[in-house]
Amino acid sequence: MTAYDPCAHCEEMMQPYMDRTITDAERAEAETHLNGCTYCRKRYRFEEKLRQFVRQAVQEPMPVELKTKLAGLRTPLQ
Amino acid sequence: MSETAREPDARQLATEARDRVRFEEEALALSDQVYRVARHLVGSREEAEDLMQETYARAFRSWRSFTPGTNLRAWLLRILTNLNIDRGRKQQRTPDTQPLEEGDYFLYNKLEASGDGPSDADRVVERLSQNDVVGALSEVPHDFRDVVVLVDIGDFTYADAAQILDIPIGTVMSRLHRGRRILKQAMAESAVGGEEA
Repeated sequence: MTAYDPCAHCEEMMQPYMDRTITDAERAEAETHLNGCTYCRKRYRFEEKLRQFVRQAVQEPMPVELKTKLAGLRTPLQ
Repeated sequence: MSETAREPDARQLATEARDRVRFEEEALALSDQVYRVARHLVGSREEAEDLMQETYARAFRSWRSFTPGTNLRAWLLRILTNLNIDRGRKQQRTPDTQPLEEGDYFLYNKLEASGDGPSDADRVVERLSQNDVVGALSEVPHDFRDVVVLVDIGDFTYADAAQILDIPIGTVMSRLHRGRRILKQAMAESAVGGEEA
């Protein structure tokens, strides 16, 4: 049996924590650990930044011509 | 036919025309947001553009089946994902041989190790380029990518993503969890390289 590793547990909790899909008790437990653990706190901070970066990096504006084509698909007014 | 009998029909037609115009305007106003998701559900810009046109053509034809007051963006994405499957995208099965993805700290650890000395989390993110992200996202297997794109890029809730993809919410959550890890692993490989010494 392996020993309980609080940082490994915190790593497992990261996505549910960020997505706010954990209970208040689990959240409090994660925060207690994060308050005292620079290692995990850095990685949680990185995850927040990463999510913002990914969202921005994949932005690709819709071509103007496509917008015109879509408008052209509308039902003609009688 | 008497005037009195025709009158309600004319009113009904006018109401319907107004509802249709309103629907079309609302759908078009959402097109940028729909495209943002569509662009990353398929491999190329051309495919995304074709898919958008097919989606809007179908939406305008079947606008009566949309329930006003419900989520129009999700309704449009549902049409789009169905058309994407109809276009021949294979429903991907999770390959049995797929290696177990790394944990959630993997990318940070790789990026931090690749730099000179310790640095804060904000600086470490800057070691990733836009190309690292775009390339890595395209490498995530479809089933996982669909969920990541809908939730993390399209801002859909788990429930909306489940409805759009016609899968249970639990499947959305597990695919999202794994999809993000696969994405991070691919970004690490792109930014830092594979298992170099």
